Amino acid sequence: MLNQYYGDYITVAVFVAIGAILVGGAVAANRAIAPRAPGGFKDVAYESGIEPIGGGWNQSHIRYYIFALLFLIFDVEAVFIFPWALQLEFFSSIGSGLTVLVEMFVFVGILLLGLVYAIRKGVLTWE
Amino acid sequence: MLTLDYHALLPELIVAGTVLVTLVVDIVTRRKHLVAIIGVLGLFAAAVPILTLSFCGSLDFCSSTEASRVMFGGAYVIDGYALVLKGVFIFAGFVALLLSIGYLESDRYYEGEYYFLLVASVLGGMAMASSRDFVSMIVALELVSGPAFMLAGWRKGDARSNEASLKFFITGVIALALTLFGVSLLYGLTGTQQFDQIAVLSETVADVPLFTLAVIFIVLGFGFKVSAVPFHFWTPDTYQGAPPPVTAWLSVGSKGAGFVALLTVCYLALPAATDVWGPLIWIVAALSMTVGNVVALKQTNVMRLLGYSSIAQAGFMLAPFGAVAASGAGDLARPFQATITYFVIYAVMNLGAFGTAIIIGQRVGSYELEDWGGLSKYATGVALSLAVFFMSLAGVPPLAGWFAKFAMFRATIGVGNWWGYSIAIVAAVNAVIAFVYYAKVMKSAFFDDVPEGIDVDVAMSDAIPAPIGLAVGLAVVGVFLFGVLPGLAANVGNFSTDLLGTLGL
Amino acid sequence: MTVVQFALVGTALFSLGLYGVITRKNAVLVLASVELMLAAVNINLVAFDVYLQDPLYSGQIFSLFIIALAAAEVGIGIAIILMIYRNRQSADVDELKAMRG
Repeated sequence: MLNQYYGDYITVAVFVAIGAILVGGAVAANRAIAPRAPGGFKDVAYESGIEPIGGGWNQSHIRYYIFALLFLIFDVEAVFIFPWALQLEFFSSIGSGLTVLVEMFVFVGILLLGLVYAIRKGVLTWE
Repeated sequence: MLTLDYHALLPELIVAGTVLVTLVVDIVTRRKHLVAIIGVLGLFAAAVPILTLSFCGSLDFCSSTEASRVMFGGAYVIDGYALVLKGVFIFAGFVALLLSIGYLESDRYYEGEYYFLLVASVLGGMAMASSRDFVSMIVALELVSGPAFMLAGWRKGDARSNEASLKFFITGVIALALTLFGVSLLYGLTGTQQFDQIAVLSETVADVPLFTLAVIFIVLGFGFKVSAVPFHFWTPDTYQGAPPPVTAWLSVGSKGAGFVALLTVCYLALPAATDVWGPLIWIVAALSMTVGNVVALKQTNVMRLLGYSSIAQAGFMLAPFGAVAASGAGDLARPFQATITYFVIYAVMNLGAFGTAIIIGQRVGSYELEDWGGLSKYATGVALSLAVFFMSLAGVPPLAGWFAKFAMFRATIGVGNWWGYSIAIVAAVNAVIAFVYYAKVMKSAFFDDVPEGIDVDVAMSDAIPAPIGLAVGLAVVGVFLFGVLPGLAANVGNFSTDLLGTLGL
Repeated sequence: MTVVQFALVGTALFSLGLYGVITRKNAVLVLASVELMLAAVNINLVAFDVYLQDPLYSGQIFSLFIIALAAAEVGIGIAIILMIYRNRQSADVDELKAMRG
């Protein structure tokens, strides 16, 4: 049993080792074979051949915060729907499936109300 | 079959419905005062089922038995304790809403959302009163404080309001994290989140050091919420910076939710750890009274003074509980009653005090004490109302405050050992100190001259907004009622523990 | 893996969060540290739940609620911090000194 358990890990270890050797070998071969010509222009960030403008640190618009929040609403909603979905069958077996179903609709309805509020306040229109 | 007692859940359902309706009305109409009216009506309607539930025994149509009021496997219970506190939260929300209506009309804010958040916060308080497991309790606690964080910063352009909000928020979330860590350790030791089961299972782990640590974390986190010393530093700043009606709600609703959480957890879930939280609460109570009162002495801003006063009052409230638990002697039910009685009275008089302060603040245009000089010379009625509430807070008979203090002293001295006597002495000294600063406000209002720069005609030009007048009037009636008929308040306290007993909790 | 290892990770994470809350000046980083503390609580709850084989799964359910609460809190917190940043061009907690006494 325990041997079997560790046997599985040996397979993984072998795969990791092979992966490391392949990648390491390729990089080492590249180093050994390729010509090296360091130059100032090569250190510049690649921007599809266009000369890059500005620094690497970029500010994102604060509007994304609202979108992140709205995403959060539905993200968190999903967290509650999964356990509910797992238990729905049990509740219908004891005869209160409808109650539990309606409860989830109420929950989603409240969340949707939040979305409607956000739309009414115009946060989803991008000018 | 899943059965729910909808009659018992009706108060929460009505308020939850009100929350949603206020949001819908806010987005479909431009007349924002409609939102406020709906909020007021919703809270008023929610009070009705609380009354029918309280007098269920003598009503024909009321079919719910006490057993059926234990819901969700014991995680949510509607008993006398819950009903009393729900009543207090609804009253506090009602008064805060009325104060806000008059206040917001005088400034331009996002009105609709304001009322929505305030009613949501009230809903959290009501859920808190019924929570009997950590999951529902923490959710309720966040439902109270989440909206309150935003309400505290409602004056977006004002640096003080911003600061109030951020300080309140940061301490609030740290407190939450501390409490939750304690809860997670407690869960690891007992394997349950329900208070009554924790009470049973924790007896076997009572001498494990980790259990002590868990209890300390939990009490620490709730200590922030009730703004007890040494976790009080955010309170004066937040009370001063937040819009005054929000401060009124914070001092009763948000703080009250912390109290309910602390009392319920200590009383129902952690009787095995009285030797840990007893002395802790004893020390915190003594410190809160002393620091709160002494620092309040030199305050010049009335809102800040009321902030320190509420810290001190928190100390008075916790004193009997800490004394009995620390000495490990006797039944916890009596100090519990005293604390609930004190809290109910505190809620009424503190809301009244804030209401009066808001009226004066609007007339004078400042909350600095020196600007309030000679108030009685041009606004006698308001000055008298101020006197009623501040004397009640100081504990002068025949106002409600004296009975609260009396019940507190009776319960602490009744312990009959040095834990009780010593904190009774601390409380007595503090009652005197407290009287000094309440009297200082009185002296300013009644005997000082009207300061230069206060134009009496301008200050008196507007009538008191009707909602604020109604709120303060309600509080005045309450203060006299509880003061002249102390039996009423005591009954409220008894009722809260009677049902706890019959439910076997 | 024993439950102690998970509890140790949880405690370490919680301590890191507490350290961050105390030492950081920027409000956003304080908020991030609080999130660390809440994550530590979640690790603890789930580990204890599995270890104790709780038939009600109350630990795992609680951790779901904490995730939701933490999300709501970040929403509120960032809103408050943004408001302050707009007014004073800084989110430094130490600079909040409008009120004294």
